[in-house]
Amino acid sequence: MLLKLAWLNIWRNKRRTLITATSVFFAVLLAIVFRSLTDGVYDNMIHNVVSYSSGYLQIHKKGYWDEQSIDNTFEEDEQLYQELLKNQKVTHIMPRLQTFALASYAEKTKGVLVLGIDPVKEKEVNNLHDKIIEGEYIETINDNGVVLGEGLASQLKLNVNDTLVLLGQGYHASSAAGKFRVKGLIKLGAIELNNNVVYMPLQQSQYMHGADHRLTSVSVMLDKATNLKKLKQSLQGAINSDAYEVLSWKEMMPEMDQYIEADSTGHNIIIGILYFVISFGLFGTLLMMIFERKHELGILIAVGMKKRLLAFVLLLESIMISLIGCFAGVIGGMLTIKWFMVHPINLTGDLKKVYEEYGIEPIIYFSSHEKIFITQTLVVLILSTLLAFYPGYKVMRLKPVEAINS
Amino acid sequence: MAKTIIDAHNVSKTFNPKTIPVHAVQNVHVHIEEGEFVALVGPSGSGKSTLLNMMGGLDEPTAGSVIIDGVEITELPENKLIDFRLHNIGFVFQSFNLIPVLTAKENVGFVLQLQKMPKKEREERVLTLLKEVGLEDKINSKPGQLSGGQQQRVAVARALASKPKIVLADEPTANLDSKSAENLLNIMAKLNKEEKITFLFSTHDQRVIRKARRVITLVDGKIASDVEQTPS
Repeated sequence: MLLKLAWLNIWRNKRRTLITATSVFFAVLLAIVFRSLTDGVYDNMIHNVVSYSSGYLQIHKKGYWDEQSIDNTFEEDEQLYQELLKNQKVTHIMPRLQTFALASYAEKTKGVLVLGIDPVKEKEVNNLHDKIIEGEYIETINDNGVVLGEGLASQLKLNVNDTLVLLGQGYHASSAAGKFRVKGLIKLGAIELNNNVVYMPLQQSQYMHGADHRLTSVSVMLDKATNLKKLKQSLQGAINSDAYEVLSWKEMMPEMDQYIEADSTGHNIIIGILYFVISFGLFGTLLMMIFERKHELGILIAVGMKKRLLAFVLLLESIMISLIGCFAGVIGGMLTIKWFMVHPINLTGDLKKVYEEYGIEPIIYFSSHEKIFITQTLVVLILSTLLAFYPGYKVMRLKPVEAINS
Repeated sequence: MAKTIIDAHNVSKTFNPKTIPVHAVQNVHVHIEEGEFVALVGPSGSGKSTLLNMMGGLDEPTAGSVIIDGVEITELPENKLIDFRLHNIGFVFQSFNLIPVLTAKENVGFVLQLQKMPKKEREERVLTLLKEVGLEDKINSKPGQLSGGQQQRVAVARALASKPKIVLADEPTANLDSKSAENLLNIMAKLNKEEKITFLFSTHDQRVIRKARRVITLVDGKIASDVEQTPS
């Protein structure tokens, strides 16, 4: 009965209800599309960055992250790979041997990051071969050439086909040294990586470090929309947790996570302002609804309707108006996002160059994560509930005689 | 001996007691017995509506007490008072009595739903009441589709829905034409006679006064006269 009464009440003034619901519709639509866009940009940024660096998750020998030494490596384990790939959310795995060494060419010497990689697997994930600006990409795990970040090559003043000398520490305190032909130069968006990285085929790296079949990490790539926390827990449970540790990119690159958090807070403030503005419209409607029905509310109290039931009817009316706008906004948002997912925004001109500079795909994807829709619906629901408090309070203070005579 | 259904004991009501006090009702003492058909009359501002509201528990007296069927309603907390009204008192107001978005049937059934009466029983009662007020063909009409007289008849049906002991009517015929007023009064008189429901009207409508068996006249918030008469 109360639901029916509330529903009928909101349609007493159709135009006003529709205008209010429309304002909620636009707020929800804008909030969803905006959130979808920003989340899409973040997801893409994370995907791009983690594919070159850590992966979404990384498996190490237990204790490696606290003491990042080649002595804390682990043996390549096909069973571990199988366990990881069993999970349907895992799209790729990338075994790596990551060390630091001194790189020398002619009279120049520099500390570098040596990444022993499986060139084929990396190619599948991050299209590393496409970033080659000079020379060629390494093709197999036992290729004898290396690929250098373009910034590093420039600092060492070397070119393709020059010979790079690397000197570092090998497994169990052995010395690691070798001469490698520079097969190609690669331009990476991440400046630090571009100025410091040497990509080396995995077997060559293992051989140089006296660490045959050993790895520092297995990077795990996932579908963009995967819930990282849940998957981390799930993988932790699936592998031998006494031997391995699982770290997420958030733990390995906290600065990027903090940047996204801070940026996201800014966006939340914008969405908050949007909702704040429409709240006034909704609040105005609710106040009008109570003031123009004061006489009727008085009669209802007189005939025996408890004030709290009346306040509840007003709450229902507020929620109904909001939800009409909200559901329409969610449907509108879904359709808009669906369209943008099929037709993502391809950046052009200077913006495209800036994105490429930073190694990020110059395409703006939209996120369709369900949390975006659920969050906006909850926000509207909470907002309409809060806004109904004041009319509810007015009803609780209503004196039937005064109301009837109004 | 008939049972006292309303006992207003030394009831007073003063508006704006701290600024410019207006003594709307002063030390009024009224006993109304079960089954009476009483008109509370007097000029505008004489305090008849205020007294009626206090008797119905819609307004609190500044002094004195109101006892309805043995319950001192002036002492009841708000929720209990609302509940008491729901089960014991029916109201008919001057106009705009009904919920405009509900049909006649729903308006009458609303009170019964508040009483949590089962659906089948409720529907039967609503139909009976609307038949009694001669609106069985208008059960699905909304107030906007009914005439003023028909709306007041629905209001009477609603007031009687919960089988109250008393019905308080504040100027129920004020906005009705003669025929509708006559019709409404006949229905109320019939219900009073057949179901022994006590009716108390606040009115200055001579048509109502003529139908009453007892007429209490208020002047300046005090009872000027209280006489029994033979209704015409």
